[in-house]
Amino acid sequence: MSTDGERTSRVRLHGGKDNSLIPQSPNGGRKGFLPQNIFKMTTPNKTPPGADPKQLERTGTVREIGSQAVWSLSSCKPGFGVDQLRDDNLETYWQSDGSQPHLVNIQFRRKTTVKTLCIYADYKSDESYTPSKISVRVGNNFHNLQEIRQLELVEPSGWIHVPLTDNHKKPTRTFMIQIAVLANHQNGRDTHMRQIKIYTPVEESSIGKFPRCTTIDFMMYRSIR
Amino acid sequence: MTVLQEPVQAAIWQALNHYAFRDAVFLAERLYAEVHSEEALFLLATCYYRSGKAYKAYRLLKGHSCTTPQCKYLLAKCCVDLSKLAEGEQILSGGVFNKQKSHDDIVTEFGDSACFTLSLLGHVYCKTDRLAKGSECYQKSLSLNPFLWSPFESLCEIGEKPDPDQTFKLTSLQNFSSCLPNSCTTLVSNHTLSHRQPETVLTETPQDTIELNRLNLESSNSKYSLNTDSSVSYIDSAVISPDTVPLGTGTSILSKQVQNKPKTGRSLLGGPAALSPLTPSFGILPLETPSPGDGSYLQNYTNTSSVIDVPSTGAPSKKTFCVLQSVARIGQTGTKSVFSQSGNSREVTPILVAQTQSSGPQTSTTPQVLSPTITSPPNALPRRSSRLFTSDSSTTKENSKKLKMKFPPKIPNRKTKSKTNKGGITQPNINDSLEITKLDSAIISEGKISTITPQIQAFNLQKAAAEGLMSLLREMGKGYLALCSYNCKEAINILSHLPSHHYNTGWVLCQIGRAYFELSEYMQAERIFSEVRRIENYRVEGMEIYSTTLWHLQKDVALSVLSKDLTDMDKNSPEAWCAAGNCFSLQREHDIAIKFFQRAIQVDPNYAYAYTLLGHEFVLTEELDKALACFRNAIRVNPRHYNAWYGLGMIYYKQEKFSLAEMHFQKALDINPQSSVLLCHIGVVQHALKKSEKALDTLNKAIVIDPKNPLCKFHRASVLFANEKYKSALQELEELKQIVPKESLVYFLIGKVYKKLGQTHLALMNFSWAMDLDPKGANNQIKEAIDKRYLPDDEEPITQEEQIMGTDESQESSMTDADDTQLHAAESDEF
Repeated sequence: MSTDGERTSRVRLHGGKDNSLIPQSPNGGRKGFLPQNIFKMTTPNKTPPGADPKQLERTGTVREIGSQAVWSLSSCKPGFGVDQLRDDNLETYWQSDGSQPHLVNIQFRRKTTVKTLCIYADYKSDESYTPSKISVRVGNNFHNLQEIRQLELVEPSGWIHVPLTDNHKKPTRTFMIQIAVLANHQNGRDTHMRQIKIYTPVEESSIGKFPRCTTIDFMMYRSIR
Repeated sequence: MTVLQEPVQAAIWQALNHYAFRDAVFLAERLYAEVHSEEALFLLATCYYRSGKAYKAYRLLKGHSCTTPQCKYLLAKCCVDLSKLAEGEQILSGGVFNKQKSHDDIVTEFGDSACFTLSLLGHVYCKTDRLAKGSECYQKSLSLNPFLWSPFESLCEIGEKPDPDQTFKLTSLQNFSSCLPNSCTTLVSNHTLSHRQPETVLTETPQDTIELNRLNLESSNSKYSLNTDSSVSYIDSAVISPDTVPLGTGTSILSKQVQNKPKTGRSLLGGPAALSPLTPSFGILPLETPSPGDGSYLQNYTNTSSVIDVPSTGAPSKKTFCVLQSVARIGQTGTKSVFSQSGNSREVTPILVAQTQSSGPQTSTTPQVLSPTITSPPNALPRRSSRLFTSDSSTTKENSKKLKMKFPPKIPNRKTKSKTNKGGITQPNINDSLEITKLDSAIISEGKISTITPQIQAFNLQKAAAEGLMSLLREMGKGYLALCSYNCKEAINILSHLPSHHYNTGWVLCQIGRAYFELSEYMQAERIFSEVRRIENYRVEGMEIYSTTLWHLQKDVALSVLSKDLTDMDKNSPEAWCAAGNCFSLQREHDIAIKFFQRAIQVDPNYAYAYTLLGHEFVLTEELDKALACFRNAIRVNPRHYNAWYGLGMIYYKQEKFSLAEMHFQKALDINPQSSVLLCHIGVVQHALKKSEKALDTLNKAIVIDPKNPLCKFHRASVLFANEKYKSALQELEELKQIVPKESLVYFLIGKVYKKLGQTHLALMNFSWAMDLDPKGANNQIKEAIDKRYLPDDEEPITQEEQIMGTDESQESSMTDADDTQLHAAESDEF
């Protein structure tokens, strides 16, 4: 976690000369344009990247259910919207184009069990567009959302796993998830998010509510295909 | 007029035989524009159909009145191909407005091709859910022509139990010989060019044909005029290789060539002479043929019938070679001396050779074909147009003379077509030998003419050969029938006792693999299927079962190799896409798997298994409504597809509609009564319905059927556990530990039992084993449960949370809720 002092001492990368580096519109408020190169400072406690969620999928314990949901954004630059957020491509991203907080709304058609949320952020490419403070809220609709997680990110580069379990390690069941970007690094205004994935625990497809079996000898007999 | 068409038709047939469909179509279009006769129409439609454009043939035939049976049959075939079933049925049997034709009407109308017509009609009936009528049609078709396999297969698949012994037999001589012309004509007229023509054909020169003609001519009855057959021979020679043989009256050339006869025979057959004399039980004569007079022919022949073990590689071409060889030997040794006792008898040999020279389906016509060309006076040629394929089956069998008369002189061209292709044979299929036998047995009709001993011997030989095929078909039929009624062990037993050169073919091995698959012996199934892949790497049928086998075994590398190879090879086969879907399903990329299964349905909407697999995939993504629809579709396509009934039951189980689940599982079990997995599921459902005694009975039955099924034992243990029979549960689990020593679930349940018995230390030991055996920590459920309950250093407050846990779990698990709460009570006591 970076201290306030560190944060204020850092300077926006884009704007001024560095505009050429980032072709998008400058990310930030009217003030705070300091056309000045910075010295890369590494914070000792950077957010460590989590495992690739694909590996998680391969274990068979979770399943991506983002495709079953309706996604919406508070704002986006044309051509940098939901499609880019969900295209399974880490090179493309969603870029907001409005005032904070930037919201991603994920609505399910039915009450759905969600276990983990994975967000890909890359400070190296996005710099001041990289979110630093994220809130995750769940609820039945827009009007009764409750925050269940708030996390602070420090120069993240990779997947961030957000467990959506309750106090008893039970996955949450919800109609809607809202991800709110409350702040960006270097006080940037608009945000980038490269990928968001939502995972539900996989129920055993076998009969009898036992835990999952572990050997192939056993598994072979558990179903007919 | 028709004489003029002769060369054009010859050219068309030649083009067709060289798979030059564009040329054939073009020429046929020209011909049809010129003459506008129904024969030309049929030829054009045939060209379209063979070039794979069934819709063209359909529209063409539809636009014109079809009166001849062969046109009607082709039109109906197109209709079925284009899934216009009602229309096809109307064409074949008369529709709603007309009186329905009886089977006998069909037989009289379609004559020789009636067996195929009925088979097609049966297909239509089965597709439109009139199984009784369909089965009648199939049975009639089989009785007309016992050489047909697909009607038998269809009968088995719709759940009938045709008796192979009754089906595959040559009831009488009459029947035997009669089915041959049947098959001959229909083969020519209705079937697409077979790709199985032997290489030997290549060696044949125009001289051969002409010479054969001549021999026929010579031997044929003297009352047929021996007038020049110039047009015919012209066609022959021109067609085969225009450069070699001059036109003109045959005599001089023929007489010259007749001396070549033995030589050509040798040259034809010289190559394979070194081949092994090992032969299958039919269609092949011993290499060292004794003189035909001594009667040991048959004996020798039957002796060899038991010989097996043709090396599987290169078998196909070798077989045909063998046939040629042996038959030619008869010719060489026998004909000149023995067979020539009568004027007629002489022709036997040449015909033999002629027949064997080409073993493609078309060539079965050759014997009959040759004679008409020569025997018919040129002015008789016109009849060809009218006669082509119109011959009546009842008369066909009468005698060979009639046969000859009836066959249109054009057929020589057909013969030539079958001679031309090189390297056509690739499938060491039964079909090959089947064709060969047909050819061979066709001789019998010739043989009937004369009553001389050698000919009778030859005839007996042919009959024995056909009998050999029949006995093979009977065995295979028994095996397939057993498989279709899910007597898998019996099926494996029967099929494994086939001669090894038949055993080692893709079809047989695939059936055996499927039998193992249905028995849930996936290791065995995998072994068999990988053998199939080795022998016939081009085989697509049955590979969907292989892919599912690999899916069960979780062999992702082999599965992805398989699916890649199949999809590269044939993108239009549902099997390939099923394999691809299975591959991605195993990788848990369900969305892609769904895409591929949908593609499998797209390429063949009548493929039940693709629906089932898609349904399973939707279950995994918990889109149960879509899954239900898929399973129902699978049942619509094939009501005997028990996997889909199982899938429905599974969904109802998930939705905790246990009675519905039991009903659907029971339906599946009615189809496949030997499935221990199904029985196990029924047992669990019965337990969920609180019918524990019944559940135990069911599970016991399952264990009797398959003592190796660990899940049955596990569920029996859990039922016993739930009924508080801890001692027997423990005993069951100890046995289970012997079968699957590495399954963490077993230790988990043992731990629970010990817990119940109050032996905490044993319980904890088993729980920790269960944890250790869970390799990837995939089993959060165990871990969390154990963490919470049994690790004293867990900081969470026990009392409240445990209670919440207990209620949560009881909501989730219908089966173990009672024990769970008790367990919790016990735990809270402990801590």
